[in-house]
Amino acid sequence: MRFELDEYAYLDSPLHRWEPRFKLIGLLVLIFAFASVKDLRLVPVVLAIAAVLYLLSKMPLSFLLSRLRYPGFFLLGVILLLPFFSGETVIWQWGALTLRQEGILAMLLVVGRFLAIITTALILMGTTPFLTFVKTMRSLGLPSLIADMTLLTYRYLYDIAANLSTMQQAMRLRGFGKSSRTKRLPFVPDLHELRLLASLAGTLLVRSYEQSERIYKAMRLRGYGSEKFKVHPVYASPTSSPATLNTWSGAGLVFTLLVATGLVVAEIL
Amino acid sequence: MHIPDGILPASVCIAGYAIAAPVAWYSLRQINRLKDPTEELPKASLLTAAFFIASSINIPVPPSSVHLVLNGLLGCVLGYFAFPAILVGLFFQAIMFGHGGLTTLGVDAVMMGIPALAAYHIFQVRHAFRQKLGKKLATNVFAFLAGALGLGLSAVIFFFLVVTNIPSGFDAQTEQAAVYGLTLAHLPLMLIEGTFTLLLVLFLQRVKPELIERRG
Repeated sequence: MRFELDEYAYLDSPLHRWEPRFKLIGLLVLIFAFASVKDLRLVPVVLAIAAVLYLLSKMPLSFLLSRLRYPGFFLLGVILLLPFFSGETVIWQWGALTLRQEGILAMLLVVGRFLAIITTALILMGTTPFLTFVKTMRSLGLPSLIADMTLLTYRYLYDIAANLSTMQQAMRLRGFGKSSRTKRLPFVPDLHELRLLASLAGTLLVRSYEQSERIYKAMRLRGYGSEKFKVHPVYASPTSSPATLNTWSGAGLVFTLLVATGLVVAEIL
Repeated sequence: MHIPDGILPASVCIAGYAIAAPVAWYSLRQINRLKDPTEELPKASLLTAAFFIASSINIPVPPSSVHLVLNGLLGCVLGYFAFPAILVGLFFQAIMFGHGGLTTLGVDAVMMGIPALAAYHIFQVRHAFRQKLGKKLATNVFAFLAGALGLGLSAVIFFFLVVTNIPSGFDAQTEQAAVYGLTLAHLPLMLIEGTFTLLLVLFLQRVKPELIERRG
């Protein structure tokens, strides 16, 4: 099993050492403060905060870039039209193509907010081991059912993905997707193909369901559902002493909250 | 069909969480009324993972291909587990692939989850029509409706949110027209999604009926 999410979760940096509960609250509040920014003048501030945090986290830049690629493209698709259609002040025109000032400003705002939020979210998830993250959420009041579902889903996600790719390979080897390609109408899916794909998805569900029955029995045998398994308080690492850790972590939380409040106040003013 | 970070204003994101929380609470309460919720939990979790993976299957629609959302089917199979399942699934999509985002998790969960619960109830209506239509036809009709409407409702909510919240100089009428237009453009996708849901329900009924009947 690959813990893809935990790739850089065990580095040593102030953000990695930050007590997870304080980090979670602090960064989430900060993210929402970023989302509330509507004034374009605040966008450089917001981006600078996110950049400083990312530098502090000591994670490589390539990690951030690899995470930005997909959502970046999606965002481009949604907002690239804005400069051309939104607003009244025309700043550049070439034939039917007009660039409008309000649209460009709106686009810059959305892109700025997006970059700052996604960087901060990546810092939060990237510097916290996934198990610690779920435990922290649990200690902050996430219902145990959702916490358990998160962990179990995560545990079997890669398993099931491997299962699917095996089955898809088998389908291709038997010639799926090769037949009847010539006589097909555009925009009409082939019913036979659709049926095969439904069977593929159905088999995936049935296999997972059967596996879950075996897993449940194994879990019961190991004591799942008994009262002994309560959540313990979480600390960033067992070696550091909780008392000193909490002083710095508390200071970090207070500082982050102040920054977030500052942003919101600046926005209102 | 996810709304990424940064597009929606903070107030809408918070409203999303404010709507998602009571729906999650209500779903959990319904789940706890089941005979043995701990027994259902691993099943729901693995099916969540399986749905998550299955929605990555490409459906060839020449000249290109589409992805299915499968939230209608998710509702039919998981019942009230559908809402927590969608929360978990969206959370993973946000942190692993950057589909959606943490600020928009609440909004996205409402957009996908409430239609999934609606699909569950639509699918349950088949029992009422069992005598009128015959058991098989009733199942077929309502499986199709559940799949098509699950996606359709999500599409309406999605376009409504995106069109009304993207900062723009459009007037209200243009925005309304855009929502209608974009939703109409989704009709073919609703047909495909409905057909796929129907075919999958037929498959499950043949191979593993307890998967869809156990909540009947």
